[in-house]
Amino acid sequence: MAMRVEPLPYRVGQISTGTLLLIVVLLGVVAQGLYAFSRQLTEGLVVTGMRDIGTMGGPAWGLYIAFDIYFVGVSFAGITTAALVRLLNLHALRAVSRLAEVLTIIALILAAFSVLPDLGQPLRGVVHLLKYARPQSPFFGTFTMVIAGYLFASLVYFFLDGRRDAAICAARAGRLQWFYRLWAAGYRDTPAERERHRRVGFWLSLAILPMLVIAHSTLGFVFGLQVGRPGWFSALQAPAFVIMAGVSGVGLLIIIAAIVRTTLEAQDRLTPEVFRWLANFLMVLTAAYIYFMLVDWLTATYAAPLHESRVTSALLFGPYARIYWPSVAALVAAFYLLLRQFLTGRYSIAVTVLCGALVNVAAVGKRLLIVVPSQTHGAMLPYPSGTYTPTWVEYSIIGGLIALGTLLYIVFTKVFPVIELPEARQEMGHR
Amino acid sequence: MRATLTRVIVLAGLILAAMSFALALPLRIPGVTVFATAPAGSDGAVPYLPALFILGIMLVFLAAVVYELLPDRSPPPWPPAGAGRRR
Repeated sequence: MAMRVEPLPYRVGQISTGTLLLIVVLLGVVAQGLYAFSRQLTEGLVVTGMRDIGTMGGPAWGLYIAFDIYFVGVSFAGITTAALVRLLNLHALRAVSRLAEVLTIIALILAAFSVLPDLGQPLRGVVHLLKYARPQSPFFGTFTMVIAGYLFASLVYFFLDGRRDAAICAARAGRLQWFYRLWAAGYRDTPAERERHRRVGFWLSLAILPMLVIAHSTLGFVFGLQVGRPGWFSALQAPAFVIMAGVSGVGLLIIIAAIVRTTLEAQDRLTPEVFRWLANFLMVLTAAYIYFMLVDWLTATYAAPLHESRVTSALLFGPYARIYWPSVAALVAAFYLLLRQFLTGRYSIAVTVLCGALVNVAAVGKRLLIVVPSQTHGAMLPYPSGTYTPTWVEYSIIGGLIALGTLLYIVFTKVFPVIELPEARQEMGHR
Repeated sequence: MRATLTRVIVLAGLILAAMSFALALPLRIPGVTVFATAPAGSDGAVPYLPALFILGIMLVFLAAVVYELLPDRSPPPWPPAGAGRRR
């Protein structure tokens, strides 16, 4: 049959001058990050602000690990949203399902990349991890199971979920038709295939949900199980990590959904109803995190041991207060705005996006404060307090990673419909 | 056929993950060859156990792809979507 030559939906394959300019700028930032990484590889970690704990007065983990936690956290909301949409039949959120899946995959790739610069010998680190690490260790769970297992599961989910739309795109002539055919992998949208996909989607969602709770808890255990590090050793770390992951991920998903809504003119799919759902979801998660924070405050200030008090004091009134209080203020402000929307019933997309941005600023701050102060102020041996100021190398590498993530997202929106195509457009013409 | 193959892959993945997890435990069990030489607190009994563990997890999820992509031996009992529609 003859191929129809008509534009693909959601501006797939169309690149405006503005987008091209943005891509060039992002490539520049990625190049700067690569240059910084090459400097670090040749000169060693001395070009960063990280130093040995105690003897050299620094933290051994800094910005890289803080952003690793942040990226893994962001990935949480993506696949959770997609899985919940499937399991609970949340049709209102179906339009953000793929946006969320892409967010998860890109965030996990960035998480893997942000661990590598923290290793003096990245290649040796990766090989030895696969050769000698213990699957029981939280480090293993975080750096391999999360990134390999969780990323693989997300990719499987994403691939299978996109086959129907790939088949629709494959029915139209174009340069990427081979790619869509490959992705569709013979999908014909028969009732049997639909039923099979429904069944697979349900079981995959069911398998992914506990896996991601384990994965995010494992990340919390990396800190929470370290008995000799005041500020880290706590049973609350794992659940707090899961909740904060949800907060930052849903916040970022809201921002991305708003950008896509405007740039791809998807107002008919990304309706205010979608943002209302996400806003309420974010409100509940933010409330839960604030509760964890209050419990943490009470425990740390009531009758904490000496070394625990030192870390708390550094956080609340010491050198980290300038990050701590703005982070708390951002979280509380976001919660207030979300609660006000909920109580009045008057939802605004702009306010919801603002809340998404606020919680992400808070998330980055909180991640840094989880990683650094316990190393600089939590020594149980009589070392003086340390300091940490990231260098241009660390900022450049993290900036490069964020630019890379943004670039990957933009490229994806240009090659594949980032919003699931509605049922009415089902036309399998490529058979 | 499809369901059986999927179950086999899921089971193989789970067994691989569980076995590599168990073998990586820092145990010394007299009489069990793989554990006999591993002093407590050492590396796993066999190298690349962590990689096998990850492979096991991946296999479990790969089963979903097999289940969905494996073609039917016989044509489905339903007519294809849009059959009879003018094109």
